[in-house]
Amino acid sequence: MESLRQILSPDFLLRNSVYTSVLIGFACPLVGVFLVLRRLVFMGVALPQISSTGVAIALCIPIWLGILQPEHAAHSEHLYAFLGSMVFSLSAILILAFLERRTRGLPEGRLGAAYVVASALSILLLSKNRYAEVGWLDLMKGEVITIDNMDLTLTAVSLAIVLIVLGVFYKELLLVSFDRAMAATLGKRVVFWDVLLYVLIGITVSMAVLSVGPLIAFGFLLIPALTTHLFARNMRQFIIGASLLGGATAFCGFWIAYSFDLPVGPTEVVLLGITYASAFLLSKAITLLTRTPLQKGN
Amino acid sequence: MSASIVLDKVTIGYDDHVVMSDISLTVRRGSFTAILGANGTGKSTLLKTIIGLQTPIAGRILFSTPTPKQEPADKNDFWFGGEFMTAQRRPLFGYVPQSNQFDALYLLSAFDVAMMGVYRRIGAGRIVPAAEKDLVCECMRATGADTFAKKMFSQLSGGQKQRVLIARALAAKPEILVLDEPTAGVDVAATHALLEFISQIHREQKLTVLLVTHDLPLVRKHTEQVVWLHEGKLLQGTASELLNPKRMAEILEMEIS
Repeated sequence: MESLRQILSPDFLLRNSVYTSVLIGFACPLVGVFLVLRRLVFMGVALPQISSTGVAIALCIPIWLGILQPEHAAHSEHLYAFLGSMVFSLSAILILAFLERRTRGLPEGRLGAAYVVASALSILLLSKNRYAEVGWLDLMKGEVITIDNMDLTLTAVSLAIVLIVLGVFYKELLLVSFDRAMAATLGKRVVFWDVLLYVLIGITVSMAVLSVGPLIAFGFLLIPALTTHLFARNMRQFIIGASLLGGATAFCGFWIAYSFDLPVGPTEVVLLGITYASAFLLSKAITLLTRTPLQKGN
Repeated sequence: MSASIVLDKVTIGYDDHVVMSDISLTVRRGSFTAILGANGTGKSTLLKTIIGLQTPIAGRILFSTPTPKQEPADKNDFWFGGEFMTAQRRPLFGYVPQSNQFDALYLLSAFDVAMMGVYRRIGAGRIVPAAEKDLVCECMRATGADTFAKKMFSQLSGGQKQRVLIARALAAKPEILVLDEPTAGVDVAATHALLEFISQIHREQKLTVLLVTHDLPLVRKHTEQVVWLHEGKLLQGTASELLNPKRMAEILEMEIS
């Protein structure tokens, strides 16, 4: 409990890391719910990886072009990483979503190819740049440690915008996700609402990747939504429940990682996994216990 | 208020694939028209083109307007049987898709689904007012869906889902009710009840109804007009004209007993 008291203290040295972790934990499941509903789980895997490739490119190119001196890179690298992550996330989600709607073939195949190529490209780029490699490896491992006030503010503002837009236009976003044809006959601009949703997902993924890395971003996008779906009885319970579960798991994960000197990101994702597995078993047990004798006979 | 539809030398299809070309069709205001045809003949494509989900490859689709002008403003507009037809205006459609196309992942009650019908009149970001919720309740009562309004939509039977989807379409206050194989996956008793109910709405509200179906006995019993798609051709007539054994044999070039 001493470690918990330390974490909750306003003077805690890593307080920005706690706040960022919890913010990402709350925000990612909000857009993750739509990825699950639209059966775009593979998008949730590929997008954070593509976003981190954007970070890798943004860290390497300015140094190669001589715009940035390696010894002074630390001052500007956050800005370049932010731009790289945002540009790659938004471009990738819009292109992949467009291809999914307009072309035939195997969407999972395209996402898988994008994931693999993005991973390989990141490693290739960074293998030739030792300055960029250090920051990127921290990102890949989910080391939520070095987060300054600027990063925290940027994350909080971006995620607040996502939350407000999702809340205000929830009705339209749900309608175009559930029944595009009906939305079109009701005069709704389906493409506009699709693009808005994808932009919200792209922004959230970018911020999450920048703050906590692709592994944790993926974990928080999907696992809280999958876990809550097992018990939720309506959309409100589903969305709010997933967000609360994400935030709570992020905090508990940080607490455990701090207490046992573990890397924060992987601890949080493993905790999410344990929660999902436990919830799955519990839901199955409840189903078995509440079955009527007639159902048991079948 | 219902509306008439005129298709003038329309070609329908997807991207580079033409499903039917150069088809012309007239659907009169307040009529009940069935669209028949074997699988793959283009029934659903035709329906989706009429309601604007797909763009016609060629030709024009015109709808009657409730506020006729004295003179056609556009050279393509014209008067037809006392109605002003224009391609400039789209009527309000109440679209009832097949009930089995919805994903069970959505945790929506029957009422939530029916409520979507009023979204056309509610601005983006606005909360649905109480009067609109009352209208949804009224539409659910009219379709008999009020008894399972709180149940999860995904857990309803095929017939129950169709009642909810029809309530949703009616809540949109449509001029034209469009139903795409509403009896697919619905048992015989529920199919009869559903068609009886759609006929009743058609009579009471004088709605223009377009129905895609495979069920010939039901078409004979309930509909006035038939559009039959066969080998790239479109035949139009009354149910008694097109669906008598002799005429059907001529169309299908085989004996129908």
